[in-house]
Amino acid sequence: MELQKFYYDNKIVKMFAYATLFWGIVGMLVGVLIASQMVFPALNFNFAYTTFGRVRPVHTNAIIFAFVGNGIFTGYYYSLQRLLKTGMASNWMTRFHFWGWQTIIVLAAVTLLAGFTTGKEYAELEWPIDIMIAVVWVVFGWNMMWTILKRRVKHIYVAIWFYIATFVTVAVLHIGNSIEIPWSFLKSYPVYAGVQDALVQWWYGHNAVAFFLTTPYLGLMYYFMPKAANRPVYSYKLSVIHFWALIFLYIWAGPHHLLYQSVPNWAQSLGTVFSIMLIAPSWGGMINGLLTLRGAWDKVREEPVLKFFVVAVTAYGMSTFEGPMLSLKSINAISHFTNWTVGHVHIGALGWNGFLTFGMIYWLFPKMFNTKLYSVKLANLHFWMGTLAILFYSIPLYWAGWTEASMFKQFNDAGELVYPNFLEIVSQIMPMYYMRIFGGTLYFLGAILMVYNIAKTVKAGSFVAMEAAEAPALEKEGGMKPGEGFHRFLERRPVQFMILSIIAILIGGLVEIVPTYLIKSNIPTISSVKPYTPLELQGRDIYIKEGCYNCHSQMIRPFRSETERYGEYSKAGEYVYDHPFQWGSKRTGPDLWREGVKTGKNYKPDAWHYRHFMNPQELNATSLMPKYSWLADVEIDIASTPKKIRVMQTLGVPYPEGYDLIANDDLKAQAEAIAAGLKADGIEVGSNKQVIALIAYMQRLGTDISGSTTTSENK
Amino acid sequence: MSNTEDKNLHHGEPEIDELTNDRYLGGHEYDGIRELDNKLPQWWLYLFYVTIIFSLVYLVGYHLADWWPLQEKEYNNEMAAVADIKKATPQIEVDLENMMPLTAEADLTAGKVTYDKICVTCHGKFGEGLVGPNMTDMYWIHGDSTNNKVTIKELYNVVITGVIEKGMISYKDQLSPVQIQQVLSFILTLQGTNPANQKAPQGRKYDTFG
Repeated sequence: MELQKFYYDNKIVKMFAYATLFWGIVGMLVGVLIASQMVFPALNFNFAYTTFGRVRPVHTNAIIFAFVGNGIFTGYYYSLQRLLKTGMASNWMTRFHFWGWQTIIVLAAVTLLAGFTTGKEYAELEWPIDIMIAVVWVVFGWNMMWTILKRRVKHIYVAIWFYIATFVTVAVLHIGNSIEIPWSFLKSYPVYAGVQDALVQWWYGHNAVAFFLTTPYLGLMYYFMPKAANRPVYSYKLSVIHFWALIFLYIWAGPHHLLYQSVPNWAQSLGTVFSIMLIAPSWGGMINGLLTLRGAWDKVREEPVLKFFVVAVTAYGMSTFEGPMLSLKSINAISHFTNWTVGHVHIGALGWNGFLTFGMIYWLFPKMFNTKLYSVKLANLHFWMGTLAILFYSIPLYWAGWTEASMFKQFNDAGELVYPNFLEIVSQIMPMYYMRIFGGTLYFLGAILMVYNIAKTVKAGSFVAMEAAEAPALEKEGGMKPGEGFHRFLERRPVQFMILSIIAILIGGLVEIVPTYLIKSNIPTISSVKPYTPLELQGRDIYIKEGCYNCHSQMIRPFRSETERYGEYSKAGEYVYDHPFQWGSKRTGPDLWREGVKTGKNYKPDAWHYRHFMNPQELNATSLMPKYSWLADVEIDIASTPKKIRVMQTLGVPYPEGYDLIANDDLKAQAEAIAAGLKADGIEVGSNKQVIALIAYMQRLGTDISGSTTTSENK
Repeated sequence: MSNTEDKNLHHGEPEIDELTNDRYLGGHEYDGIRELDNKLPQWWLYLFYVTIIFSLVYLVGYHLADWWPLQEKEYNNEMAAVADIKKATPQIEVDLENMMPLTAEADLTAGKVTYDKICVTCHGKFGEGLVGPNMTDMYWIHGDSTNNKVTIKELYNVVITGVIEKGMISYKDQLSPVQIQQVLSFILTLQGTNPANQKAPQGRKYDTFG
């Protein structure tokens, strides 16, 4: 067989690796900033662009899509070419992928800080950027599949199975969750509302964890772990079983983010059981990773790369056990909306994704630069700093989560809440917030050390942009051969492999989401629920813009401890006009769903809201809420009202025909009434200011059903 | 899978890994990475089966057999149990007709605790008034103007009914009668304390309190 000469493109690997380091540092630094804002509200700087609600999405997006995203592509371009014995199919596509992705990241940071957000976690980017992501992603996947088709290796290796599953699933999730109707160049409303929006969003959100933070990294693990240890993979059979089980089961687990909330019970139960069934398939990956090191444990002592990998895979095993446990109703009742969840995700982010990336970087640079790592000592120091950092980060947050939950739920003998004031609970967990800053900072400093170490390594080495290699061409082979086994056959049929993956990942989502459209009883309608007034709608958009959902939920669960604290529990039918839903996932501050109910426990007058937005610490000295004083200066964008009303009508919100033309009259009348009320209380503020709209929205929250209506049980 | 194609492609005999004594899979080599022919670990397989059985039992138990309550029923059960507790522990009665401010140190301390928890957010840390009126001056909105007196009984009714048009909610579900009496007693001790940043007087001036 004649050998063919070809080249591996190391340049693209290097570009993505630099981007990984750069955005990693940025993302971690922003993380330290927002962790500090939760202790020192002054660090919000009383400036819209630097306020927590806008900056926190920058942190999450930077870590997930910029740091981990570029990390995926780094390892993927390096391993894919070598596993297939070919260069990339298209050079311009790899470049387009790189620059397209970096452009998206920059645009994401700018638009999020400017307040352009969909208000859906980890999917905050607005519609023009959504389209760019789809295009860049498809180009990346096309190039990958094309490269796979022109490979010189008969079978595709398990790492590539994971890459294929990642490509198709992320495409489906991203497009599915981003269907929205624009009302301006940078703003849109999602087509889904309330319960459906929640189910679609967490189908996406959960599987962004699965198919952006997990499957591609399992692929990287399957390449870099055996390479770095120079050991064979423990079990091919396990690879096959855990791969298919994982991608099929993962998709179903989304509703575990919505336990005890206003989604149908059957969907919640599916979320729970599929999470439990995920334990073994997830651990299959961990086992295959750790047992690959059998016979090489002595190397782990000396080689920082392997140390990082071992902790990464162990963190993966811990997270994927903890996740299913948090999906049990009894545990979720405690953990949800608290800092426990934040601790949990950071075991995954800092441990699994972070450490696997670090190990990969330390392994790749000396390889690509034909030199040794500048300092193994520094890399070991980084390892220990990072490991301690994970402990200092997560243990306090677990502690905080427990503390919050036990204080939230504590009643005295007379049947009253022992801690009715939310702030008492906040004050109690302040020491944990301090410790978390320390942990985060330590992790960040470790990463800085890595950048230094890598810079020194780069300086000492000489980079080979195009690495020469040779291999014989692939012989054409026909159908399945006797004794070949179906999966082995599938491994040389990448297109069929891809189609089977798509089928596997579509089933769960379809079963869980489609019935909520088709079966009426899933979301019982409540006749008293009416669309938002134009002013409230504008206020709602300000609520979304300022990222209030990052700290406040709008979802009261059916627990005595919540109905005593916040009022009547939430009903599915109350949210039918909420495009997007704003249920939230964390309560740094209290739930707001019954904020407007005058007979409720949390009602506050307009003047209180005004003063609270201007300076929360004036009313509650220990409050962590940022000031929103610009809301009294910036005007409501009333020019957008007709367009918003029309888009809402398109989405089925029953505003009367032609209402778009007169909506602003109603808006002004309502705004003037609020401003006049404030004036009577000695507050002078123009009725055209944003704060007026936000107050109107606050006072509307949860008021559509009166008292203890229980007409709409979630079936 | 270990089949003839794999075994015989590159290696006549199955090759054994020296460090672990495990068998290699023939033909499985990717950029130098090889794969072993190990079976699925038994304990892993059993774990998987157990989770599948758990799931079936869970779905049957919640949705078909009604062994465990779904969330609405669970909530109703929880609240029913509370109603029983509340019935069993009757609240201490207060004599509203002849209510007088409490003076015992313990009562005033308890009143301050309630004040710091609830009232402070609208009436200020020292009662100086914020969104709600100043409680340290002699000007009151709710009082008995014919007798030129602000009584704890009248303030008690304000706390029970609320002044919703001004933004004060009713606290009858959050505070027991004794707690209300305690906090009002504490508030009346603030008269004339003259704290900083006082809100301008509201209502009319009264001369007697209690």
